[in-house]
Amino acid sequence: MTWSPALQEVIDEFSEIEDAMERLEILMDFAEEVDELPSDEWNEQNLVKGCQSRAHVVIEQRDGTIWMRAAADAKMVQGLMGILTIAINGMPPAKVLELTPDFVVEMGVLNTLTPSRSNGFRTMFDMIQKTVEEMS
Amino acid sequence: MSVRDDFPILARKVNGQSLVYLDNAATTQKPQVVITAMNDYYQNSNANVHRAVHTLAGEATEGYEECRTELKNWFNAERVIITSGTTESINLVAHSWARANLVAGDAIILTEMEHHSDIVPWQLLAQDIGVELRFVSLNEDLTLDMDAFKASLSGAKLVACVHTSNVLGIRNPIEKIIEMSHANGAKVLLDSAQAVPHEKINFSELGADFLACSAHKMCGPTGIGCLLVKEDSFNQMQPFMGGGDMIQTVTTAGSTYQDNEHKFEAGTPRIAEGIGWAAALKWLGKINLHDEHIRLLDIARWTADQIKNLPGMTVFGRHADGDSAVVSFIHDSIHPEDMARLLDAKGIAIRTGHHCAQPLMQRLGVEGTMRVSFYIYNDQEEAELFIETIRSIVERFA
Repeated sequence: MTWSPALQEVIDEFSEIEDAMERLEILMDFAEEVDELPSDEWNEQNLVKGCQSRAHVVIEQRDGTIWMRAAADAKMVQGLMGILTIAINGMPPAKVLELTPDFVVEMGVLNTLTPSRSNGFRTMFDMIQKTVEEMS
Repeated sequence: MSVRDDFPILARKVNGQSLVYLDNAATTQKPQVVITAMNDYYQNSNANVHRAVHTLAGEATEGYEECRTELKNWFNAERVIITSGTTESINLVAHSWARANLVAGDAIILTEMEHHSDIVPWQLLAQDIGVELRFVSLNEDLTLDMDAFKASLSGAKLVACVHTSNVLGIRNPIEKIIEMSHANGAKVLLDSAQAVPHEKINFSELGADFLACSAHKMCGPTGIGCLLVKEDSFNQMQPFMGGGDMIQTVTTAGSTYQDNEHKFEAGTPRIAEGIGWAAALKWLGKINLHDEHIRLLDIARWTADQIKNLPGMTVFGRHADGDSAVVSFIHDSIHPEDMARLLDAKGIAIRTGHHCAQPLMQRLGVEGTMRVSFYIYNDQEEAELFIETIRSIVERFA
């Protein structure tokens, strides 16, 4: 899989860090990249189900491109949302559907992509692609 | 040689750090003797149990049934039905005993600190046959409200109660619960999943009617557990799962069933796991569980006190004598999931989430907690490393 230059830059940034805790600290900094979904827009439809933390994601299509707004109570989930924002915002739907979630393993921020209660990222990623698929 | 040396997994590194495993209430690690016993069965004796006459089948049968014998001796129990674990054991009581002996309007008493495995089977039963479920509330200090329990007993036919809470570590006054329940004509089912690793239970002396537990919480394999049953209740149970091994004869007109525990163990059983559990029980039998429990509870108390002293932390549970070595806590700004991932980066394994006890989380007013739980291979040094690490995380990320 080849990534967009912006996402590749993020992957490279993580790959250079050897200390696992430092990687997580940088992951949390990516929370700033998220276009925040205000809490009054949180509802059952945009809730990421099966996630340990509370997470909401809204996907919108504008002028043929995909845009994401999101919020979560766990800082690392916010960081993952920030990286997803870099990965998909402003991309055409076809490109978003081509994306595979393994970049987070490559970054060394998650050790598994198997869906589970503690792996909200995979659930969130699948939810985003399903929404984009339904839109296109 | 220390106990730790018997557990090969404790030598491994996680994220470049020595593993500090503090998730024992979820599952304990396995000593080498358990791993060797299970490997040995697959390498040398693998065969199906009970009916064939060849040598391997004989060895497999002997190995598997030795597990039942070990369990009967360990718990001083007459009837031991081998299941897949605590969850299946509780479901077995719901299907085999409750369906055959309860009618609409009969009450089942549960508590607000039950694990989902002691709630959902009864909700399913209530939907099917119309039994009434009553949940006993907790006191301010999170112990069971025994006045509320007493008041709930009228018309109760079954009390299904957690022996030791998986979240709080609180050991319920089960002796009193059994006495009061029996005086009111109700049978008692104990969910002892978290109690068996910490106390040697004498089932006959205790007097409960049913007791459910799992092997993997006491150094045994996953996928196997048991239901201990008193003789009179055993005789009231009807077969639930049908299949091979549980029958005496089968004709096209109908079947007759075994009259021993096999009646409730349809199909090929968990042979390797049974052999592994027997090995775990023999290994645990060499350890003074009572002394170990006191040592672990001291570590848990120290840990709870240290956490309480960190800014923004709340600890749940009281850590009284008899409680398990579990510490549940939350921080007012660091999410449990973030804390667990940061600790994992340092090789420290803890659990986060609702711990399959959502009604208790609702009672505590939280969505989830962080939980550390200690077992026989853990030591004070690990607790100190854990505290030092969360202290630095709080200083850095709060």
